[in-house]
Amino acid sequence: MTLTENLFENLRLELRRGCLSLAVLAQLRREHYGYTLRKALAERGLEIDESTLYPLLRRLEAQGLLTSEWREEDKRNKRFYRLSSDGQQIFAQLLEEWQAINASINSLL
Amino acid sequence: MELLDRYLQSVKKHLPWQRQDDILAELRANLESQLEDKEAELGRQLTPGEAEAWLKQIGPPIQLAARYQPQQYLIGPAVFPIYWYVLRFASLLALIVYSVVSAVLLFAGAYPTLGATFGAILRIPGVLLTTATWVTLIFACIEFSIARFGTGWLPADKFPASAGNGLNWTPSSLPPIEKNAPRDKKPPSYARAVAEVIFGFLLIVWLLAIPAYPFLLFGPGIVYLRLSPFQLEPVWILFGLWIVGLNVFQVSWKLIDLLRGAWQNPQPWRTIAFKAIGLIPILVLISQPVLFSLKHPQLDQQRYGATLDLVNRSVHRGMLCVLAIAGLQLMWEVGVRVTNSYRQRAAAAR
Repeated sequence: MTLTENLFENLRLELRRGCLSLAVLAQLRREHYGYTLRKALAERGLEIDESTLYPLLRRLEAQGLLTSEWREEDKRNKRFYRLSSDGQQIFAQLLEEWQAINASINSLL
Repeated sequence: MELLDRYLQSVKKHLPWQRQDDILAELRANLESQLEDKEAELGRQLTPGEAEAWLKQIGPPIQLAARYQPQQYLIGPAVFPIYWYVLRFASLLALIVYSVVSAVLLFAGAYPTLGATFGAILRIPGVLLTTATWVTLIFACIEFSIARFGTGWLPADKFPASAGNGLNWTPSSLPPIEKNAPRDKKPPSYARAVAEVIFGFLLIVWLLAIPAYPFLLFGPGIVYLRLSPFQLEPVWILFGLWIVGLNVFQVSWKLIDLLRGAWQNPQPWRTIAFKAIGLIPILVLISQPVLFSLKHPQLDQQRYGATLDLVNRSVHRGMLCVLAIAGLQLMWEVGVRVTNSYRQRAAAAR
Protein backbone atom coordinates (compact mmCIF):
# COMPACT_ATOMS: atom_id res chain seq x y z
CA MET A 1 0.00 0.00 0.00
CA THR A 2 1.47 3.36 -1.01
CA LEU A 3 1.59 6.30 1.40
CA THR A 4 -1.32 8.00 -0.37
CA GLU A 5 -3.41 4.83 -0.29
CA ASN A 6 -2.56 4.37 3.36
CA LEU A 7 -3.54 7.95 4.13
CA PHE A 8 -6.81 7.53 2.25
CA GLU A 9 -7.54 4.29 4.10
CA ASN A 10 -6.92 5.93 7.48
CA LEU A 11 -9.15 8.88 6.64
CA ARG A 12 -11.84 6.58 5.25
CA LEU A 13 -11.85 4.49 8.42
CA GLU A 14 -11.98 7.62 10.54
CA LEU A 15 -14.93 8.91 8.52
CA ARG A 16 -16.73 5.56 8.75
CA ARG A 17 -16.17 5.03 12.47
CA GLY A 18 -18.71 7.57 13.67
CA CYS A 19 -21.21 6.66 10.97
CA LEU A 20 -21.21 2.99 11.99
CA SER A 21 -22.58 3.71 15.47
CA LEU A 22 -25.30 5.86 13.95
CA ALA A 23 -26.17 3.17 11.42
CA VAL A 24 -26.32 0.49 14.09
CA LEU A 25 -28.53 2.64 16.30
CA ALA A 26 -30.80 3.39 13.32
CA GLN A 27 -31.14 -0.27 12.44
CA LEU A 28 -31.80 -1.28 16.05
CA ARG A 29 -35.00 0.67 16.25
CA ARG A 30 -36.14 -2.82 15.28
CA GLU A 31 -34.91 -5.78 17.24
CA HIS A 32 -32.05 -7.81 15.76
CA TYR A 33 -29.42 -10.26 16.84
CA GLY A 34 -25.85 -9.81 15.66
CA TYR A 35 -25.92 -11.76 12.43
CA THR A 36 -29.28 -10.48 11.11
CA LEU A 37 -28.22 -6.94 11.98
CA ARG A 38 -25.04 -7.40 9.96
CA LYS A 39 -27.07 -8.77 7.03
CA ALA A 40 -29.61 -5.93 7.25
CA LEU A 41 -26.84 -3.32 7.17
CA ALA A 42 -25.08 -5.08 4.31
CA GLU A 43 -28.31 -5.14 2.30
CA ARG A 44 -28.40 -1.35 2.63
CA GLY A 45 -24.84 -1.05 1.41
CA LEU A 46 -23.07 -0.86 4.75
CA GLU A 47 -20.77 -3.85 5.11
CA ILE A 48 -19.35 -4.20 8.62
CA ASP A 49 -16.81 -6.82 9.68
CA GLU A 50 -17.89 -9.28 12.35
CA SER A 51 -14.91 -8.24 14.44
CA THR A 52 -16.16 -4.64 14.40
CA LEU A 53 -19.91 -5.07 14.69
CA TYR A 54 -20.24 -7.63 17.48
CA PRO A 55 -17.94 -5.84 19.95
CA LEU A 56 -19.60 -2.54 18.99
CA LEU A 57 -22.97 -3.92 20.07
CA ARG A 58 -21.52 -4.80 23.47
CA ARG A 59 -20.01 -1.34 23.80
CA LEU A 60 -23.25 0.44 22.91
CA GLU A 61 -25.06 -1.72 25.39
CA ALA A 62 -22.51 -0.95 28.11
CA GLN A 63 -23.07 2.75 27.37
CA GLY A 64 -26.79 2.25 27.98
CA LEU A 65 -27.86 2.92 24.40
CA LEU A 66 -29.03 -0.64 23.73
CA THR A 67 -30.84 -3.29 25.70
CA SER A 68 -30.47 -6.98 25.02
CA GLU A 69 -32.00 -10.32 25.92
CA TRP A 70 -31.20 -13.96 25.25
CA ARG A 71 -33.97 -15.77 23.44
CA GLU A 72 -34.31 -19.03 21.56
CA GLU A 73 -34.95 -18.81 17.85
CA ASP A 74 -34.61 -21.62 15.31
CA LYS A 75 -33.48 -23.97 18.07
CA ARG A 76 -30.57 -21.68 18.92
CA ASN A 77 -30.06 -19.22 21.77
CA LYS A 78 -29.42 -15.75 20.39
CA ARG A 79 -28.84 -12.38 21.96
CA PHE A 80 -31.32 -9.82 20.60
CA TYR A 81 -30.60 -6.10 20.78
CA ARG A 82 -32.80 -3.04 20.44
CA LEU A 83 -32.55 0.66 21.17
CA SER A 84 -33.08 1.62 24.84
CA SER A 85 -35.02 4.75 25.81
CA ASP A 86 -31.72 6.60 26.37
CA GLY A 87 -30.55 5.24 23.05
CA GLN A 88 -33.63 6.62 21.28
CA GLN A 89 -32.94 10.05 22.71
CA ILE A 90 -29.24 10.02 21.79
CA PHE A 91 -30.05 8.58 18.37
CA ALA A 92 -32.44 11.48 17.66
CA GLN A 93 -29.73 13.97 18.63
CA LEU A 94 -27.05 12.20 16.61
CA LEU A 95 -29.34 12.00 13.61
CA GLU A 96 -29.98 15.73 13.80
CA GLU A 97 -26.22 16.35 14.01
CA TRP A 98 -25.53 14.04 11.11
CA GLN A 99 -28.17 15.71 8.95
CA ALA A 100 -26.72 19.14 9.75
CA ILE A 101 -23.21 17.96 8.82
CA ASN A 102 -24.54 16.32 5.68
CA ALA A 103 -26.36 19.51 4.67
CA SER A 104 -23.23 21.58 5.31
CA ILE A 105 -21.05 19.25 3.28
CA ASN A 106 -23.58 19.23 0.43
CA SER A 107 -23.69 23.00 0.42
CA LEU A 108 -19.88 23.06 0.24
CA LEU A 109 -19.75 20.70 -2.74
CA MET B 1 -17.53 -27.58 12.62
CA GLU B 2 -14.19 -28.36 14.21
CA LEU B 3 -12.38 -25.39 12.72
CA LEU B 4 -14.99 -22.98 14.12
CA ASP B 5 -14.66 -24.61 17.56
CA ARG B 6 -10.91 -24.20 17.43
CA TYR B 7 -11.31 -20.59 16.37
CA LEU B 8 -13.73 -19.82 19.22
CA GLN B 9 -11.49 -21.59 21.70
CA SER B 10 -8.62 -19.34 20.66
CA VAL B 11 -10.83 -16.25 20.95
CA LYS B 12 -11.93 -17.30 24.44
CA LYS B 13 -8.36 -17.30 25.72
CA HIS B 14 -8.10 -13.57 25.09
CA LEU B 15 -11.55 -12.45 26.24
CA PRO B 16 -12.17 -10.65 29.55
CA TRP B 17 -12.73 -13.57 31.91
CA GLN B 18 -15.83 -12.14 33.64
CA ARG B 19 -17.81 -12.09 30.40
CA GLN B 20 -16.07 -14.67 28.24
CA ASP B 21 -18.80 -17.34 28.35
CA ASP B 22 -21.51 -14.83 27.52
CA ILE B 23 -19.51 -13.25 24.68
CA LEU B 24 -18.50 -16.63 23.33
CA ALA B 25 -22.09 -17.93 23.31
CA GLU B 26 -23.22 -14.86 21.38
CA LEU B 27 -20.31 -15.08 18.97
CA ARG B 28 -20.98 -18.76 18.39
CA ALA B 29 -24.67 -18.11 17.68
CA ASN B 30 -23.81 -15.35 15.20
CA LEU B 31 -21.09 -17.30 13.41
CA GLU B 32 -23.13 -20.51 13.26
CA SER B 33 -26.05 -18.58 11.75
CA GLN B 34 -23.69 -17.13 9.21
CA LEU B 35 -22.28 -20.57 8.46
CA GLU B 36 -25.77 -21.99 8.00
CA ASP B 37 -26.61 -19.22 5.56
CA LYS B 38 -23.44 -19.84 3.58
CA GLU B 39 -24.09 -23.59 3.40
CA ALA B 40 -27.73 -23.07 2.46
CA GLU B 41 -26.61 -20.77 -0.34
CA LEU B 42 -24.09 -23.32 -1.63
CA GLY B 43 -26.39 -26.30 -1.04
CA ARG B 44 -23.54 -28.18 0.66
CA GLN B 45 -21.12 -27.98 3.55
CA LEU B 46 -18.12 -25.69 3.28
CA THR B 47 -14.93 -27.40 2.19
CA PRO B 48 -12.04 -27.15 4.65
CA GLY B 49 -10.44 -24.54 2.34
CA GLU B 50 -13.62 -22.41 2.23
CA ALA B 51 -14.04 -22.68 6.00
CA GLU B 52 -10.47 -21.60 6.51
CA ALA B 53 -10.90 -18.63 4.16
CA TRP B 54 -14.10 -17.60 5.94
CA LEU B 55 -12.52 -17.67 9.42
CA LYS B 56 -9.41 -15.94 8.13
CA GLN B 57 -11.58 -13.14 6.81
CA ILE B 58 -13.10 -12.62 10.29
CA GLY B 59 -9.61 -11.93 11.56
CA PRO B 60 -7.05 -13.26 14.04
CA PRO B 61 -8.69 -14.53 17.28
CA ILE B 62 -6.58 -12.23 19.44
CA GLN B 63 -7.67 -9.20 17.42
CA LEU B 64 -11.35 -10.10 17.60
CA ALA B 65 -11.11 -10.71 21.35
CA ALA B 66 -9.23 -7.44 21.87
CA ARG B 67 -12.21 -5.50 20.53
CA TYR B 68 -14.28 -6.79 23.45
CA GLN B 69 -11.80 -5.35 25.93
CA PRO B 70 -12.54 -1.89 27.38
CA GLN B 71 -11.22 0.73 24.97
CA GLN B 72 -8.35 2.30 26.87
CA TYR B 73 -5.36 4.27 25.63
CA LEU B 74 -2.10 3.94 27.47
CA ILE B 75 -1.75 7.69 26.92
CA GLY B 76 -4.56 9.24 24.91
CA PRO B 77 -4.46 12.16 22.47
CA ALA B 78 -5.72 14.68 25.07
CA VAL B 79 -2.93 13.88 27.54
CA PHE B 80 -0.17 13.07 25.04
CA PRO B 81 1.07 16.64 24.37
CA ILE B 82 1.47 17.23 28.13
CA TYR B 83 3.10 13.82 28.54
CA TRP B 84 5.57 14.63 25.78
CA TYR B 85 6.38 18.00 27.35
CA VAL B 86 6.91 16.48 30.81
CA LEU B 87 8.91 13.57 29.38
CA ARG B 88 11.36 15.93 27.69
CA PHE B 89 11.57 18.12 30.78
CA ALA B 90 12.05 15.17 33.17
CA SER B 91 14.64 13.50 30.91
CA LEU B 92 16.62 16.70 30.72
CA LEU B 93 16.40 17.24 34.46
CA ALA B 94 17.48 13.64 35.13
CA LEU B 95 20.39 14.05 32.73
CA ILE B 96 21.51 17.23 34.47
CA VAL B 97 21.16 15.86 38.00
CA TYR B 98 22.95 12.66 37.00
CA SER B 99 25.71 14.60 35.24
CA VAL B 100 26.28 16.93 38.18
CA VAL B 101 26.28 14.08 40.71
CA SER B 102 28.60 11.99 38.50
CA ALA B 103 30.95 14.94 38.00
CA VAL B 104 31.06 15.62 41.74
CA LEU B 105 31.74 11.95 42.49
CA LEU B 106 34.36 11.71 39.76
CA PHE B 107 36.24 14.78 40.88
CA ALA B 108 35.83 14.25 44.60
CA GLY B 109 39.29 13.81 46.05
CA ALA B 110 41.19 12.93 42.92
CA TYR B 111 41.13 13.38 39.18
CA PRO B 112 38.77 10.99 37.39
CA THR B 113 40.08 7.97 35.59
CA LEU B 114 39.12 7.40 31.97
CA GLY B 115 37.39 4.14 32.89
CA ALA B 116 35.21 5.80 35.53
CA THR B 117 34.34 8.63 33.14
CA PHE B 118 33.29 6.24 30.37
CA GLY B 119 31.38 4.15 32.91
CA ALA B 120 29.44 7.25 33.97
CA ILE B 121 28.68 8.11 30.33
CA LEU B 122 27.56 4.55 29.54
CA ARG B 123 25.05 4.68 32.42
CA ILE B 124 23.25 7.69 30.85
CA PRO B 125 20.88 5.60 28.62
CA GLY B 126 19.81 3.60 31.68
CA VAL B 127 19.07 6.79 33.64
CA LEU B 128 17.03 8.20 30.75
CA LEU B 129 15.16 4.94 30.27
CA THR B 130 14.28 4.73 33.97
CA THR B 131 13.04 8.33 33.93
CA ALA B 132 10.96 7.72 30.80
CA THR B 133 9.48 4.58 32.36
CA TRP B 134 8.38 6.42 35.50
CA VAL B 135 6.95 9.36 33.58
CA THR B 136 5.06 6.99 31.27
CA LEU B 137 3.76 5.00 34.22
CA ILE B 138 2.49 8.14 35.97
CA PHE B 139 0.79 9.42 32.81
CA ALA B 140 -0.74 6.00 32.13
CA CYS B 141 -2.30 6.25 35.63
CA ILE B 142 -3.52 9.78 34.84
CA GLU B 143 -5.03 8.57 31.54
CA PHE B 144 -6.68 5.66 33.32
CA SER B 145 -8.12 8.00 35.98
CA ILE B 146 -9.39 10.47 33.35
CA ALA B 147 -11.08 7.60 31.48
CA ARG B 148 -12.75 6.44 34.71
CA PHE B 149 -13.46 9.68 36.60
CA GLY B 150 -13.27 12.48 34.01
CA THR B 151 -11.07 15.60 34.33
CA GLY B 152 -12.85 17.22 37.30
CA TRP B 153 -10.27 15.99 39.83
CA LEU B 154 -7.36 17.65 37.99
CA PRO B 155 -5.97 20.90 39.45
CA ALA B 156 -6.88 24.02 37.46
CA ASP B 157 -3.47 24.36 35.80
CA LYS B 158 -0.79 21.87 36.65
CA PHE B 159 1.63 23.05 34.05
CA PRO B 160 3.58 26.26 33.49
CA ALA B 161 1.68 28.97 31.67
CA SER B 162 4.52 29.22 29.18
CA ALA B 163 3.69 25.72 28.00
CA GLY B 164 0.10 26.76 27.24
CA ASN B 165 -0.81 23.11 27.55
CA GLY B 166 -2.60 22.77 30.89
CA LEU B 167 -5.83 20.85 30.47
CA ASN B 168 -7.77 23.84 31.83
CA TRP B 169 -5.71 26.51 30.12
CA THR B 170 -6.95 30.00 29.36
CA PRO B 171 -5.79 32.18 26.45
CA SER B 172 -4.70 34.87 28.93
CA SER B 173 -2.25 32.41 30.56
CA LEU B 174 -0.30 32.08 27.31
CA PRO B 175 3.12 33.78 27.22
CA PRO B 176 3.31 37.26 25.66
CA ILE B 177 4.37 37.70 22.04
CA GLU B 178 8.12 37.31 21.78
CA LYS B 179 9.65 40.60 20.81
CA ASN B 180 12.45 40.87 18.27
CA ALA B 181 11.88 37.32 17.02
CA PRO B 182 13.51 37.07 13.61
CA ARG B 183 10.76 36.29 11.09
CA ASP B 184 13.02 35.15 8.30
CA LYS B 185 15.09 32.66 10.28
CA LYS B 186 14.06 29.22 11.38
CA PRO B 187 13.97 29.17 15.21
CA PRO B 188 16.42 26.79 16.90
CA SER B 189 14.93 23.39 17.58
CA TYR B 190 14.57 21.80 21.01
CA ALA B 191 16.91 18.97 19.95
CA ARG B 192 19.57 21.52 19.07
CA ALA B 193 19.16 23.31 22.40
CA VAL B 194 19.46 20.00 24.29
CA ALA B 195 22.49 19.02 22.20
CA GLU B 196 24.14 22.36 23.04
CA VAL B 197 23.69 21.69 26.76
CA ILE B 198 24.96 18.11 26.50
CA PHE B 199 27.98 19.02 24.42
CA GLY B 200 28.61 22.02 26.66
CA PHE B 201 28.67 19.68 29.64
CA LEU B 202 31.00 17.25 27.83
CA LEU B 203 33.30 20.17 26.99
CA ILE B 204 33.48 21.05 30.70
CA VAL B 205 34.30 17.43 31.57
CA TRP B 206 36.99 17.49 28.88
CA LEU B 207 38.45 20.76 30.19
CA LEU B 208 38.49 19.44 33.75
CA ALA B 209 40.19 16.22 32.64
CA ILE B 210 43.04 18.05 30.88
CA PRO B 211 45.20 18.67 34.01
CA ALA B 212 45.23 14.92 34.72
CA TYR B 213 45.41 13.89 31.07
CA PRO B 214 47.24 16.63 29.13
CA PHE B 215 47.27 14.44 26.00
CA LEU B 216 43.56 15.28 25.65
CA LEU B 217 44.69 18.79 24.66
CA PHE B 218 48.17 18.27 23.20
CA GLY B 219 47.79 14.80 21.70
CA PRO B 220 51.13 13.15 20.87
CA GLY B 221 52.77 16.58 21.25
CA ILE B 222 52.70 16.01 25.02
CA VAL B 223 55.97 14.06 24.61
CA TYR B 224 57.75 17.18 23.27
CA LEU B 225 56.25 19.28 26.07
CA ARG B 226 57.59 16.89 28.69
CA LEU B 227 61.02 16.75 27.08
CA SER B 228 61.28 20.50 26.47
CA PRO B 229 63.13 22.69 29.01
CA PHE B 230 60.10 25.03 29.26
CA GLN B 231 57.14 24.92 31.64
CA LEU B 232 53.85 26.79 31.98
CA GLU B 233 53.56 29.56 34.54
CA PRO B 234 50.78 29.36 37.22
CA VAL B 235 48.82 32.06 35.34
CA TRP B 236 47.72 29.30 32.93
CA ILE B 237 45.89 27.60 35.80
CA LEU B 238 43.99 30.83 36.43
CA PHE B 239 43.33 31.05 32.67
CA GLY B 240 42.02 27.45 32.67
CA LEU B 241 39.77 28.12 35.65
CA TRP B 242 38.31 31.16 33.90
CA ILE B 243 37.62 29.08 30.77
CA VAL B 244 35.92 26.36 32.83
CA GLY B 245 33.97 28.96 34.83
CA LEU B 246 32.74 30.71 31.68
CA ASN B 247 31.64 27.42 30.15
CA VAL B 248 29.83 26.41 33.33
CA PHE B 249 28.13 29.83 33.30
CA GLN B 250 27.06 29.50 29.64
CA VAL B 251 25.86 25.90 29.94
CA SER B 252 23.92 26.77 33.11
CA TRP B 253 22.25 29.67 31.37
CA LYS B 254 21.29 27.51 28.38
CA LEU B 255 19.95 24.95 30.81
CA ILE B 256 17.80 27.55 32.57
CA ASP B 257 16.48 28.61 29.15
CA LEU B 258 15.58 25.02 28.40
CA LEU B 259 13.79 24.56 31.71
CA ARG B 260 11.90 27.82 31.22
CA GLY B 261 11.01 26.81 27.67
CA ALA B 262 12.76 29.96 26.40
CA TRP B 263 15.38 28.34 24.18
CA GLN B 264 13.77 29.71 21.03
CA ASN B 265 13.96 33.32 22.18
CA PRO B 266 16.85 35.12 20.56
CA GLN B 267 19.01 36.87 23.18
CA PRO B 268 21.45 39.03 21.21
CA TRP B 269 22.49 41.10 24.24
CA ARG B 270 23.28 37.97 26.16
CA THR B 271 25.45 36.70 23.31
CA ILE B 272 27.29 40.02 23.37
CA ALA B 273 27.67 39.81 27.16
CA PHE B 274 29.15 36.31 26.87
CA LYS B 275 31.63 37.56 24.28
CA ALA B 276 32.57 40.47 26.52
CA ILE B 277 33.14 38.18 29.51
CA GLY B 278 35.07 35.87 27.19
CA LEU B 279 37.72 38.59 26.92
CA ILE B 280 38.59 38.22 30.61
CA PRO B 281 40.76 35.07 30.22
CA ILE B 282 42.75 36.84 27.48
CA LEU B 283 43.19 39.84 29.81
CA VAL B 284 44.38 37.46 32.53
CA LEU B 285 47.13 36.19 30.22
CA ILE B 286 48.05 39.68 29.02
CA SER B 287 48.37 40.88 32.62
CA GLN B 288 51.34 38.52 33.04
CA PRO B 289 54.34 39.27 30.82
CA VAL B 290 55.90 35.89 31.67
CA LEU B 291 53.79 32.95 30.51
CA PHE B 292 56.53 30.34 30.19
CA SER B 293 59.60 29.72 32.32
CA LEU B 294 62.50 27.30 32.45
CA LYS B 295 62.17 24.05 34.34
CA HIS B 296 65.81 24.32 35.45
CA PRO B 297 66.85 28.00 35.24
CA GLN B 298 70.34 27.45 36.66
CA LEU B 299 71.14 24.84 34.03
CA ASP B 300 69.29 26.18 31.00
CA GLN B 301 69.30 30.00 31.37
CA GLN B 302 72.33 30.51 29.22
CA ARG B 303 71.22 28.12 26.49
CA TYR B 304 67.46 28.82 26.32
CA GLY B 305 67.15 32.23 28.01
CA ALA B 306 66.99 34.21 24.75
CA THR B 307 64.52 31.76 23.16
CA LEU B 308 62.32 31.90 26.24
CA ASP B 309 62.29 35.68 26.18
CA LEU B 310 61.34 35.62 22.47
CA VAL B 311 58.56 33.09 23.08
CA ASN B 312 57.14 35.11 25.97
CA ARG B 313 57.18 38.35 23.99
CA SER B 314 55.67 36.71 20.88
CA VAL B 315 52.84 35.05 22.80
CA HIS B 316 52.18 38.28 24.70
CA ARG B 317 51.95 40.22 21.42
CA GLY B 318 49.80 37.49 19.92
CA MET B 319 47.44 37.80 22.87
CA LEU B 320 47.30 41.55 22.38
CA CYS B 321 46.35 41.01 18.71
CA VAL B 322 43.65 38.48 19.71
CA LEU B 323 42.31 40.96 22.28
CA ALA B 324 42.28 43.77 19.70
CA ILE B 325 40.45 41.65 17.08
CA ALA B 326 37.93 40.30 19.61
CA GLY B 327 37.41 43.81 21.03
CA LEU B 328 36.77 45.27 17.56
CA GLN B 329 34.38 42.45 16.72
CA LEU B 330 32.54 43.05 19.98
CA MET B 331 32.29 46.78 19.32
CA TRP B 332 30.95 46.08 15.82
CA GLU B 333 28.27 43.74 17.20
CA VAL B 334 27.28 46.25 19.87
CA GLY B 335 27.01 48.91 17.14
CA VAL B 336 24.83 46.66 14.95
CA ARG B 337 22.65 45.79 17.91
CA VAL B 338 22.18 49.39 18.99
CA THR B 339 21.30 50.39 15.41
CA ASN B 340 18.76 47.56 15.13
CA SER B 341 17.17 48.52 18.46
CA TYR B 342 16.92 52.12 17.35
CA ARG B 343 15.32 51.09 14.02
CA GLN B 344 12.82 48.84 15.77
CA ARG B 345 11.86 51.54 18.23
CA ALA B 346 11.47 54.03 15.39
CA ALA B 347 9.33 51.55 13.42
CA ALA B 348 7.17 50.89 16.51
CA ALA B 349 6.72 54.65 17.07
CA ARG B 350 5.43 55.01 13.49
